[in-house]
Amino acid sequence: MSDTTIEVCHAWKKFRHGDVHDSLRDLVPALAHRLIGHGRKRTDLAKGEFWALKDISFQLKRGEIVGIIGPNGAGKSTILKILSRILRPNSGRVRVDGRLSALIEVGAGFHPDLNGRENIYLNGTILGMKKAEIDRKFDEIVAFAEIEKFLYTPVKRYSSGMYVRLAFAVAAHLEPEIFLVDEVLAVGDARFQKKCLNKMQDVGQEGRTVIFVSHNMPAITRLCKRAILLDQGRILQDGPPHQLVKAYLSSSLSTTGAREWFDPAAAPGGEVARLRTLRLRAEDGQVAESVDIRRPILIQMEYDVLKSGYILMPYHHLYNEQGVFLFSAHDLDPTWRCRPRPVGRWVSTVQIPGNLLNEGTLFVSSGLMTLDPTIPQFHVRDVMVFQVIESLDGDSTRGGWAGPMGGVVRPLLKWTTRVTADTDEAAALAARKGDNETNI
Amino acid sequence: MSTTEQQTTEVLAAESVLTPPMEAPTDEERQTLWETFHEIIYELLQYRDLLFQLTLRDIRIRYKQAVMGVGWAIFMPMLIVAAGFVVRYAIAHMAKSELNWGDFAAMGIKALPWAFFVGAIGFATTSLTSNINLVTKIYFPRAVLPLSAVLAQAFDTAIGAAAIAALLFFLEIRFSLQTLWAIPLLVLLFLFTVGMAFFVSCANLFFRDVKYIVQVLLTFGIFFTPVFYEPSNFGPWGCHLMMLNPLAPLLEGSRLAIVEHHNLFHSIVLTSSGGLPIIAWHPAYLVYAACWAVVGCLGAWLLFHKLQFLYAEYI
Repeated sequence: MSDTTIEVCHAWKKFRHGDVHDSLRDLVPALAHRLIGHGRKRTDLAKGEFWALKDISFQLKRGEIVGIIGPNGAGKSTILKILSRILRPNSGRVRVDGRLSALIEVGAGFHPDLNGRENIYLNGTILGMKKAEIDRKFDEIVAFAEIEKFLYTPVKRYSSGMYVRLAFAVAAHLEPEIFLVDEVLAVGDARFQKKCLNKMQDVGQEGRTVIFVSHNMPAITRLCKRAILLDQGRILQDGPPHQLVKAYLSSSLSTTGAREWFDPAAAPGGEVARLRTLRLRAEDGQVAESVDIRRPILIQMEYDVLKSGYILMPYHHLYNEQGVFLFSAHDLDPTWRCRPRPVGRWVSTVQIPGNLLNEGTLFVSSGLMTLDPTIPQFHVRDVMVFQVIESLDGDSTRGGWAGPMGGVVRPLLKWTTRVTADTDEAAALAARKGDNETNI
Repeated sequence: MSTTEQQTTEVLAAESVLTPPMEAPTDEERQTLWETFHEIIYELLQYRDLLFQLTLRDIRIRYKQAVMGVGWAIFMPMLIVAAGFVVRYAIAHMAKSELNWGDFAAMGIKALPWAFFVGAIGFATTSLTSNINLVTKIYFPRAVLPLSAVLAQAFDTAIGAAAIAALLFFLEIRFSLQTLWAIPLLVLLFLFTVGMAFFVSCANLFFRDVKYIVQVLLTFGIFFTPVFYEPSNFGPWGCHLMMLNPLAPLLEGSRLAIVEHHNLFHSIVLTSSGGLPIIAWHPAYLVYAACWAVVGCLGAWLLFHKLQFLYAEYI
């Protein structure tokens, strides 16, 4: 058996805009032609059709974890559907070697009137498990989903969290050789999401091939060793996820350190305020994509206030590459804090001090809301990315240690270390302490 | 040439390069009929647990939160028999003849397979379209959806059959060797129903008005199928015409075998008032129905399988 589990060669797939067929009269001859094999060639593009995938080729080795990223409509889900045989490409070849499970939707086939137990069996077999296999894993699935008490309750009475947990629990216990996962981690509470991410990492370590489609960039960088960037049905790049995530986030602009929306119609915003630009700047004011771990970095938000008389609060959320929410920074400038603002163009800048963040890739999500009443105006996820870089110069927080430094922050703390007594005295102290303890 | 024009031509050039190459058909398309059927059967065996679970789902849903419970399974055939009784009573009244209990038993025996056919086709028609999120999101042999609809209905029919058996016992219609004809007849009925189920579920996926057409056909079909009467009632030509309905030989055959204890290998010829013989039964009728069942089932299954990669796109 070869080492390649998935091979896609020059795959093309077309779709139609709008309604796929208008009347019986049109389709019967077309269908007849298709069956006989005459008529229009499958590789021609008719009116209203477009290529959802254009000349897609890639190979996957056993045990590889690959992330597929790209904007909406880039063809990510179409690739998964072609690999899982739901769709067939119009041209090109797809070879899949091994048992494949696709998790394009969690809880597909769940029936609201059936109870948890019945749905585990139904959903499990739909996903391709054998009954004997489900019997074996049943207790594990129930424990993973944390629904022991509700096993005999119809799932229509489940909370949405329980529903999703049960659905994912079944999916997580599939044992395919190739696992396709589409954007399913966007559900469930944070704790459960983390559990799922860990489970997926385990899956990868067991030597299975995983294809992972997500908008969750931190998850991609954390889980995958390789990523494929798609745009408009074409593969733009194929390589290490760090580079591709950056490339993807910067695809609509020149740098990940600055995002600009000069067209008001396309800019994120609400009734009161509209985003204009977001920039990361170094101390000297230059737009920056990376910063020395010891130096501060500025996040600058430029926005238009469209209605007077509202109290506004711009904020930024910082995430690290593991998807851990590091902190939330709210506008604290005393001049405009809790004061209604007039219409105009505003700039809010926050300085994140040096010697605070740990090295790695940091993701910024930015937003703005009005207070009293609280109305979110915009919130843009993973809008900017920057690297915190450590140049082993000596005056960092490492203290001479050259190995990896864990943790989500890397603060420069004040340490005091001094000698309190000489060796003989210390030994005597220790002996006396020991005596005391035995006496007690 | 201005810069924008240059850019446009460049883009156009790039687009024209990006057309898929002409392709020789892939291995999958060069499959022989035998290989296709091998694939169909192999896949179905692979997914037999799914077929079982889906059938179980359909049965459970039908009986969950239902007032009638198992009574539902015998309600439909009972209603058909009651309707038949009314029709037959009217005819008997006009003809100044009498209804006997044998007619009652005959209607019961024919009502049950008819109810099976109507129920199975009714559920199967929407089996693909009502599971839209499965068809577009997950791969499995799509044949399990209409098949599970037919199997769930078969479960209902089995309960109904027990009731009919009790009725026959009460009407003093005894078991004979000819009663065993019921087994091949039921197999043929099942095959025919499966074939139709594949055909209508697939057709309904592409054209959503198919389910209304099917509904109308099933409602009025009982008048064109010998459930309330015998084909021989229609005279020499009418009998032949009636037997063109593939269900007619199956229903009439079961009546003859179970109620009349007739061996279906032998034909029955009656003499009509006009002098022409009425061929009330001939083994050829059975062969004709068997052809419909077997060829129809295999053909419809093949069509269903060949089109299944289009389902996710056209649903």
